[in-house]
Amino acid sequence: MSHRSDTLPVPSGQRRGQVPRDHSIYIQLLEITLHLQQAMTEHFVQLTSRQGLSLEERRHTEAICEHEALLSRLICRMINLLQSGATSGLELQVPLPSEDSRGDVRYGQRAQLSGQPDPVPQLSDCEPAFVSRDLSNRGIDISVFYQSSFQDYNAYQKDKYHKDKNTLGFINLGTSENKLCMDLMTERLQQSDMNCIEDTLLQYPDWRGQPFLREEVARFLTYYCRAPTQLDPENVVVLNGYCSVFSALAMVLCDPGEGFLVPAPFYGGFAFSSRLYAKVELIPVHLESEVTVTNTHPFQLTVDKLEEALLEARLEGKKVRGLVLINPQNPLGDIYSPDSLMKYLEFAKRYNLHVIIDEIYMLSVFDESITFHSVLSMKSLPDSNRTHVIWGTSKDFGISGFRFGALYTHNKEVASAVSAFGYLHSISGIAQHKLCQLLQNTEWIDKVYLPTNCYRLREAHKYITAELKALEIPFHNRSSGLYVWINLKKYLDPCTFEEERLLYCRFLKNKLLLSCGKTYMCKEPGWFRLIFADELPRLKLAMRRFCDVLQEQKEALIVKQLEDAMRE
Amino acid sequence: MFTLPQKDFRAPTTCLGPTCTQDLGSSHGDDLEGECSRKLDQKLPELCGVGDPATISSDTSYLSSRGRMIKWFWDSAEEGYRTYHMDEYDEDKNHSGIINLGTSENKLCFDLLSWRLSQSDMQRVEPSLLQYADWRGHLFLREEVAKFLSFYCKSPVPLRPENVVVLNGGASLFSALATVLCEAGEAFLIPTPYYGAITQHMCLYGNVRLAYVYLDSEVTGLDTRPFQLTVEKLEMALREAHSESIKVKGLILINPQNPLGDIYSLEELQEYLVFAKRHRLHVIVDEVYMLSVFEESVGYHSVLSLERLPDPQRTHVMWATSKDFGMSGLRFGTLYTENQDVATAVASLCRYHGLSGLVQYQMAQLLRDRDWINQVYLPENHARLKAAHTYVSEELRALGIPFLSRGAGFFIWVDLRKYLPKGTFEEEMLLWRRFLDNKVLLSFGKAFECKEPGWFRFVFSDQAHRLCLGMQRVRQVLAGKSQVAEDPRPSQSQEPSDQHR
Repeated sequence: MSHRSDTLPVPSGQRRGQVPRDHSIYIQLLEITLHLQQAMTEHFVQLTSRQGLSLEERRHTEAICEHEALLSRLICRMINLLQSGATSGLELQVPLPSEDSRGDVRYGQRAQLSGQPDPVPQLSDCEPAFVSRDLSNRGIDISVFYQSSFQDYNAYQKDKYHKDKNTLGFINLGTSENKLCMDLMTERLQQSDMNCIEDTLLQYPDWRGQPFLREEVARFLTYYCRAPTQLDPENVVVLNGYCSVFSALAMVLCDPGEGFLVPAPFYGGFAFSSRLYAKVELIPVHLESEVTVTNTHPFQLTVDKLEEALLEARLEGKKVRGLVLINPQNPLGDIYSPDSLMKYLEFAKRYNLHVIIDEIYMLSVFDESITFHSVLSMKSLPDSNRTHVIWGTSKDFGISGFRFGALYTHNKEVASAVSAFGYLHSISGIAQHKLCQLLQNTEWIDKVYLPTNCYRLREAHKYITAELKALEIPFHNRSSGLYVWINLKKYLDPCTFEEERLLYCRFLKNKLLLSCGKTYMCKEPGWFRLIFADELPRLKLAMRRFCDVLQEQKEALIVKQLEDAMRE
Repeated sequence: MFTLPQKDFRAPTTCLGPTCTQDLGSSHGDDLEGECSRKLDQKLPELCGVGDPATISSDTSYLSSRGRMIKWFWDSAEEGYRTYHMDEYDEDKNHSGIINLGTSENKLCFDLLSWRLSQSDMQRVEPSLLQYADWRGHLFLREEVAKFLSFYCKSPVPLRPENVVVLNGGASLFSALATVLCEAGEAFLIPTPYYGAITQHMCLYGNVRLAYVYLDSEVTGLDTRPFQLTVEKLEMALREAHSESIKVKGLILINPQNPLGDIYSLEELQEYLVFAKRHRLHVIVDEVYMLSVFEESVGYHSVLSLERLPDPQRTHVMWATSKDFGMSGLRFGTLYTENQDVATAVASLCRYHGLSGLVQYQMAQLLRDRDWINQVYLPENHARLKAAHTYVSEELRALGIPFLSRGAGFFIWVDLRKYLPKGTFEEEMLLWRRFLDNKVLLSFGKAFECKEPGWFRFVFSDQAHRLCLGMQRVRQVLAGKSQVAEDPRPSQSQEPSDQHR
């Protein structure tokens, strides 16, 4: 029956009982694949361990690494499949190399997921690409996706800049966090009204959020969004972060494989949130930087572009369930006028699309001459049953570690379906109390917090934009959000996403974390998002590193051009 | 008999499969489990895996097909939830309100906990707690958790903070583990009766099923006690699942068990783990009641106390403060696994299951305070649990009602079979409804997927006055029940939601 080849150079474990024929095939295949995997790894190690010095060679090595990562993933999937086939028989144990599963199926430190920002080679503590036989395929996907998206962030977490203790550590201008008002928030959260422990806070909550908090959120949004009528606490669902809200919305509005339109560039976290659990595709509506007759300002969103993207998606057989709008926009900082907002909403209504509006930066508009119009301020919504608003405290109050996000929707059906996720995305009762106290104190918010926050944002923005102007770097000059969208195209030769990635790596090597346009699905290579909501000394040091890198990059470009010229 | 809350919602038409047709709606802790069982004869749609086509048609709905199903789960639980919460018993304001002996919450020690959590060391606020942090949980908390578990689980070696992942509750942990260990449609074995809410935790995001290992109340063969789990039964259930082409990826053990209050001996634990290893199954050991063993004579053994785990890479332990510290509203749960791949994969999902930094700090302070835990909290908590347990079991004995309870957990597994003349689940549900109509909420056996109709779970960890009133109402129902037992037309039409809307 089972003629397992004993000559295969793969160590095998014990096997019990008889093995049905098809299972023995699985096992043999599995063994061969494992063998192949090992050989492949060795091959790549040999290929990449040669120390190339020239740019050319380095790029070559990087390309090899990418191939390796791709192959690794494929082969790992094969192993998982084979293994699941092999273990579906009851009476057998699959022979696998080494009982300790750690290490054997993993790959070398250098393996990376293709198309993802590469780690800096000298970052020795950077996590290896993720391969495991204990996880499901989707588990592997989740891990790989997460690690590739967050490995640089994790490197930063382990090696943060500190003015005394770690002057050579990473400065993070990549993660959108407001660090300018930590003093105010810390003081506010330490006041005595914050500390309340009641029995009800310690018991199972209403999974939509404690009633007192939902009431406060409704009141808060009525006031700050200038809603024409009082918003209803029954339309509020409170979860631990706005990504959780987005994830839950994607689950209940779409079936797997369906999609949302999103004007690109857009906040990359949404791509993550829609893919991780919900398997929903975000379909970019590509915007362009160039100003033309129809494109009256850079990255302008028009209904024509929405129509076009929708049509195109449908032609490709995609089912589009909605439109995601971020207002104020991340990373552009654009604010939609009431007129344009209305047009987008009417477009959505015309095609029965849901609209998810993310207003997470609504209080971070720091130019007083600009008025932000929340979608909740509209007298009448074109399709109120398909309009869902997300807000949270992470950005506007700079407390991303607090984990609070809220959904406001007139649609009771959507609200209750999202509530079903309440227990998987719940907030501690103690934290709910604090949030309620925070939102309740409008006087402090209006008189202390918001003016100070806006002032500090404005000053930081002023500093950064002056620096950029001095460097003659074009940027999208807006007055909302915590970031500037800058154009480093002139430092890329050729102007490709690959070059963009290499520049990103060069920043990283110099301990500066930025985010590049690719992660925002920007169509044009060369754009970066720079966070300025940080304290001035750190910001100054960051800009020094920024200049150094660009200088370095400029020199490298010259060398490269010379090399190219000599070859010709 | 089950009314859908929304008129425009059409009942789903296809069946969910053999493994999860019940109690998916019990989304509020584990209370109102019975509520959901009114869906027994309702068909559910196939959960949508990736690429599965929509099966529910509804022109009027704004939701996707999986969204409609999720909402349907929610509404059915929500309905009962509303019933209880709209008419909660209150000592001063609502004497005729519902007494909840259904939700497994410890309401005996709020005084101690409020005091502890109000101490000045709890009120620290610093920038790092307000910013994005390590998604596995702040290192200071993971270190505390590792120390805490090393001590209370009597681990032979110190446990490591790298193996700890912190999330917002046990539910999230079940959900995350299901997602990263299984493909959609695959299954975990679970001995029944079991804490029914796990079904939904595994299902909602993960679309993972449960394959039941049915246990009997009757002591047969080599069994030494009712509902005993044996390796033979595990083997049989696994074979059965395979014969139905259900792919089993793991085994869930709850120890101390909910609702039985059983505790596995070291030998049993070892046998189950070896069984799992033999079949390359992951084991999720839920030890959420580990410090709620109030009978000193009962020797509890955490799986982490084993000298050597048969398959450490596939053994994943969960614990939380919901039960042992009576803080289900605090939302703190933790995973301990030596498997870094699993830890990392779960951490990858933690962005969605994160816990506020300030609360993480408070938890670290709480877990660190060994003196208070050992000298104040645990002795007092155990004494109170024991007193409440004694009271309810005396009451049951006086009524001549058999029950199971081994001195752990917050509940007694009560045998009311003699009150069901025909011994059917319909009768069980009617009895449950009669309890609810008499303003006492219990959980019934079907919600725990118990094979035999007539078992109920009584939660006793409540204040004496509520407990007395609850038991009084139970007595009334059972007394009345014997008179109306032959009545073929019980008060079925009285939906509680109609009464209280």
